[in-house]
Amino acid sequence: MNFLTFLQTVDRRFLYAMLLLAVCIPFFYTPEIRVPIQPSTQKMYDEINELKENDFVLFGVDWGAGTRGESRAQTEALMRHCMKKKLRIAIMAIGEPQAKQLTQTIALALQKEYGYEQGVNWVNFGYKADPENYLKAWVQNIPGSIGVDIRGVPVATMPVMKGITTARDIDFMLDITPTSSYESYIKFVQGSFNRKMGVAVTSVMGPEAFNRLDSNQIVGLIVGLQGAVEYEQLLGYKGAATRASISSSFAHLLIIGFIILGNVAMILERRQRARLSMGGTA
Amino acid sequence: MTQFSPWLASHVETIMLWTGAICTIALFSILYKENKVYRVFEHIFLGLGTGYMVSTNWNDIIYPKLWVPLWDKGEWWLVFVLFAGLFYYFIYSNKFNWLARLVIGFFLGVTSGRAFQEFVNDIWPQVATSFKPLIPHAAVAGPTAGKALVKELTTSGAINNLIFLVILLCVMTYFFFSFEQRHPVIKGASKWGRWLMMFTFGAIFGSTIMGRLALLIDRVDFLLNDFGPQVGGKGVMFALLMGAAVLIVYLVSKSKGQAPEYEA
Repeated sequence: MNFLTFLQTVDRRFLYAMLLLAVCIPFFYTPEIRVPIQPSTQKMYDEINELKENDFVLFGVDWGAGTRGESRAQTEALMRHCMKKKLRIAIMAIGEPQAKQLTQTIALALQKEYGYEQGVNWVNFGYKADPENYLKAWVQNIPGSIGVDIRGVPVATMPVMKGITTARDIDFMLDITPTSSYESYIKFVQGSFNRKMGVAVTSVMGPEAFNRLDSNQIVGLIVGLQGAVEYEQLLGYKGAATRASISSSFAHLLIIGFIILGNVAMILERRQRARLSMGGTA
Repeated sequence: MTQFSPWLASHVETIMLWTGAICTIALFSILYKENKVYRVFEHIFLGLGTGYMVSTNWNDIIYPKLWVPLWDKGEWWLVFVLFAGLFYYFIYSNKFNWLARLVIGFFLGVTSGRAFQEFVNDIWPQVATSFKPLIPHAAVAGPTAGKALVKELTTSGAINNLIFLVILLCVMTYFFFSFEQRHPVIKGASKWGRWLMMFTFGAIFGSTIMGRLALLIDRVDFLLNDFGPQVGGKGVMFALLMGAAVLIVYLVSKSKGQAPEYEA
């Protein structure tokens, strides 16, 4: 087997090993990076920054373990910003049961850092099935339709819910999701009650979500891990996304390198074969 | 559970980390080749996912919203909801499936009525913002100071809007099936519409790879930074991972030329 044929028939497991190496290296050496901030991410940051202390933010979370790599960093960055601004936070999952627990873990870890207390500054409404029918009732009577929080405590008596009865009392809405679950909020909350909404989606959902930004249905958009890195940069801290972004860049470079190498080898081998068939020598 | 076992309470973190690491490595073993360890853990995950969903639906919805009000608070009228829900299961009975059709018909009606609100809030704003100005103009001041009635449109903004309009028309032409597309303009626009959609699908596909990489990086982050200290630090964990990778590559290179393996 000559070298050109070898390049085209490299075993996939060798490529996986190289990918693993490329992903691991940045965990030992983290260079200083500055990424350009996309206007959609900047808009999200500005909208949350304009909120006043004690404003009420609905934190829609609809991601599970399958997209933890992107959605966790987005959730953490947005929650940090809200806590930094001393906003009230209500977590609610309508599209993915795992989300309530995964976000609860993040909120519990951050509450110590920002002096937050569950029930006083933030609440976790838990998971609600059948989102669209549920939201129809929810917008009219939030404490009544929620009933109890994730711990089984009635939400109506919690200090965090003071002055919150209908969807009109919500100051800002967020949905962090790998699906189109944010559409349910647009259909039944944002559109009907004219509430401002920001969305954080996985990179695969990005192209679709930009329509909503263009039509002003949402006021800010964070796309994938890259969006989370930009948000961390705006907040001025290095979190999981910044760490992961360097690994991601290394992996992308490696994949691009492999694609170029494979294609160049294929073209050269074709030429070589053509020369041989015409009676030349290799 | 930790209330009954002080040992478990003091080791719960360690157990969680080891379980996470074993599960991660077992699932990544598919990258070497199809194997029974992977299959076992795949089924464990599927079972866990289903079990978690059932338990969440009971704990978060059925128990607090139906069971407690019905049995503990005496809200007897909720029994009608229970029966309405149970009627769905009559779909399996030839004799009584008309009962299932009653509730299905009811919810079809609800969904149809809801569709009006959905269209107005979801689709209409997108249709309205498709009508974009194409001629550059200055801002027009409104009655409120500092708030423009009509926003300024720069030359670059107008070009952007023109590109948007061309793409919109081309893609819409592609989906126009009412008559045969014979006219060269229609045919050309339709062809471009297909290409433009392909660009979008390409962007989505590229983004999918980014998403999958993010997932891999998250697991590697867990193995090195969270689990690493359990085996002596992230350097040791890295050495173990790379050692396993080198061993696999060696085994693969040795087995070349033997019977082809099953491709996952």
